[in-house]
Amino acid sequence: MSRVHQLKISVSGIRGVIGDFLTPNLACAFAQAFGTYVGPGPVVVGRDTRSSGEMLEHAVTCGLLAAGCEVVKVGIAPTPTIQVYVSEIRARGGIAITASHNPPEYNALKLFNREGLFFNHYERTELLDLYHQSEFRQATNNEIRRVVTDFDSPPQRHFKRVLAHVDADRIRKRKFRVALDGVNGAGSLMSTHFLSEVLGCELHAISVDPTQPFPREAEPRPEVLDDLRTLIRETKAEAAFAQDPDGDRLAVGDETGHILDNDDVLALAVDCALHRRKGPVVVNLTTSSVIDDVAARHGCPVFRAPVGEANVVERMRLAGAVIGGEGSNGGIIFPAVQYCRDSYMGMAFLLDRMAETGQTMSELAASLPRYYRRMGKMAYEHGRLGSMMQALESLFPGARIDRNDGLKLMFSDGWIHVRSSNTEPILRLAAEARSEERLEELYSRALSVS
Amino acid sequence: MAQERSLRISQVGLRGIVGNGLTAAHVLDFASAFSTFLEPGGKIVVGRDPRTSSIMMREGVIAGLLAGGHDVIDLGIVSTPVIQHSIRRLDACGGISIGASHNAAEWNALKFFGPRGTYLSTGEAGELLDIYHLKKFEMAEWRGIGHLHSDPDATERYLDELAQVFDIPKLARYRVLVDCTNGTSAPILSRMNERFGTRFILINEPLEGRDFAHEPSTTRKMVALQLAPLMQHVGADAGFLFDIDSDRVAFATERGQAISEEMVLVLLADDFLERGPGKLVITNVSTTALLEEIAARHGGQIVRVPVGRQSAIDALASYRPEQVAVAGEGTGAVMMPQFRFVYDGIASMLGILSMMDRRNQSLASILDGYTTYSILKGKIPLETHRIPEMLMEIEERFPDGVRNTVDGLRIDWPERWVHVRVSQTEPLVRVICEQRGGPPRALFDQVMDLVRSYGV
Repeated sequence: MSRVHQLKISVSGIRGVIGDFLTPNLACAFAQAFGTYVGPGPVVVGRDTRSSGEMLEHAVTCGLLAAGCEVVKVGIAPTPTIQVYVSEIRARGGIAITASHNPPEYNALKLFNREGLFFNHYERTELLDLYHQSEFRQATNNEIRRVVTDFDSPPQRHFKRVLAHVDADRIRKRKFRVALDGVNGAGSLMSTHFLSEVLGCELHAISVDPTQPFPREAEPRPEVLDDLRTLIRETKAEAAFAQDPDGDRLAVGDETGHILDNDDVLALAVDCALHRRKGPVVVNLTTSSVIDDVAARHGCPVFRAPVGEANVVERMRLAGAVIGGEGSNGGIIFPAVQYCRDSYMGMAFLLDRMAETGQTMSELAASLPRYYRRMGKMAYEHGRLGSMMQALESLFPGARIDRNDGLKLMFSDGWIHVRSSNTEPILRLAAEARSEERLEELYSRALSVS
Repeated sequence: MAQERSLRISQVGLRGIVGNGLTAAHVLDFASAFSTFLEPGGKIVVGRDPRTSSIMMREGVIAGLLAGGHDVIDLGIVSTPVIQHSIRRLDACGGISIGASHNAAEWNALKFFGPRGTYLSTGEAGELLDIYHLKKFEMAEWRGIGHLHSDPDATERYLDELAQVFDIPKLARYRVLVDCTNGTSAPILSRMNERFGTRFILINEPLEGRDFAHEPSTTRKMVALQLAPLMQHVGADAGFLFDIDSDRVAFATERGQAISEEMVLVLLADDFLERGPGKLVITNVSTTALLEEIAARHGGQIVRVPVGRQSAIDALASYRPEQVAVAGEGTGAVMMPQFRFVYDGIASMLGILSMMDRRNQSLASILDGYTTYSILKGKIPLETHRIPEMLMEIEERFPDGVRNTVDGLRIDWPERWVHVRVSQTEPLVRVICEQRGGPPRALFDQVMDLVRSYGV
């Protein structure tokens, strides 16, 4: 049973615990399958700051070269920066070596197509088949291509895209006092530069040494951001940001030391984006209804997709969305920069909104409609999932139902969403309501079926 | 046929045509096996030749070693002897040379070295091979993964060691033409020119990944084609030709004669036996009998072992270093005890130049002093299962000679010998036949015809 967590080779790519599970041999073979799939051309390779990153970078480079690809190494870089870069240089694809918000003993390969997008479902399936078939392209000495490096231009290209959608002068003039927790991750140096140099903030940063291990849990959940709260108080910061190790997720703190709910952060970003341009919004099924309220203020529709960045991105492309994201995961996806979760666009949007309105972060958050949310998970035995779902449905006969990803039951004053995790045999349960009492009722009744 | 069998995994290491037998997966597995084989936690030195595929293999080797918890010191593009020297100097627990030496550009290989910078013994190599086949590799947990370092001084420190044994500045009296075959000798020799004022004139100097100027084999034939015709035009005192990783060398005289690759060992054996203290020359059963004649002159002794690096390495282990004058093959690969028994083409070249200097004789006149031996070599593809039968027939056909069966069959008569052996790297049989004086044409043809009758 515990092995299930140690190594996972699936349509999401390859992820596992370093050591006996995720070996360089596996990473090399997977990269060679990827290189075979995307064909002989440039492939971008970057990584986060995990201790296994350098080792896997060599294994991945080996596999790509063996498949006849040219390897463009960008070194330590946030995932969104890598994605922007892939699309800018017209590479065949990209690989980010990062286990994102997972603990430091994990690592994984994130795979991007030539547009810098996560592989869609069909691409992922084809790649997995190719991997299992082990019939890789084997380049000869004459066909093997070179390794080139570009450490400087990826951040610059990313910043340029972000700054096209905010009023940078307006932000710089305010000289915001900003606190940052970089988790010693891939964004450490880049975020420091972005906030202090590019946006002219008075920056107070902790955990921005990419050579050091993660000082806290990798996922920037409010419960693990005590150091950031302390920093806010000590420095009297007006805004605070925390990233995950690969810089796609963003947590936001206000001047009182309160860490905003992730769904509220997304709602503020949606508000910013729709202020500039009206259009559809796409979020996942677990994201708060606050998004619907904000979109409604602008007269814009909201569409919902199954959980997972790739799913949200696919739906956004279909809908021609202006902005999207996954509230619970702290991900803001702004396609005018790139179809990916991007903490940099998030930081820029929020500072720009503060500069524009003169409001504090807490005032911005307070302007959002108030919802109560609760999330949890329960382990289940394989084979029990279906009957649990049926039991849940019969508990709430009057609810509207969405079955696009697990089961979502919707009421006039709240909802319940239950889905099985893609990566572990657990059931993720989320509920939201207008009042605390209603939330407790919904949540405890849902929990009773387990 | 050759392509189907291009991959060879043996006690000598891993070797094959990249993309057509030798793959990234082999490289990763071998690096992981080597990492598992070595003491945990030590540093491992890695270097490569300029082949394009060596970049791919370097990445795989580094990944495998780091994952096993070893720090890696990458020397970049360097000769194999530089890697071997660096292992001792850096107190590393082992090393890997990435490169296919004298093979054509499409080939590549991994060679493994132990903590003293020498090739693994047959026993150690066998253990490495067992680990490779078992595929149960020891992987470090995430906190224990190794780090990658470089060492830009490796060549400079190697030159320091050469300069301790040879008076290199003195050798600047010679104008020396060198064909680097686009390999790793070029940067070393051009640095030697800068540092010691030597006059090595380099041709085929640029490092090449795909197209070497010619086949990188250190044979008389190659010297005759590439180097000998230029000697008198350039007015060079000596000419040398290196393979890609500079562990072998062949040479030409100031008169433009292309000399048999067998003579590298002969010259160095003569010189080192004369100077002592070592009295033993370790070589294989296929090298020239001129060695015995020279050894007799210095009261030395020739120890003949089966063909192949592994036999020489194992034999060396049974003698104290000071007992050995020199060890080597007729391929132009020679090791000296002063350099801890590393096959080193550049050290061999310096040895020959130092000999010219000490005797104050030209290269051609030194060679004129040796009795002429004529060697004929041939090779015939053969079906493997008929080899024992063939060897038996040859043995029966020549009952009057002295038989030696340490490696195939060698038969000795007072002034000539023939050696029939099966290649370790290709499905063919080699016939080597030598005679004091003129070529042993009749004997050679007789044996070749007999072998051919078993051919495919």
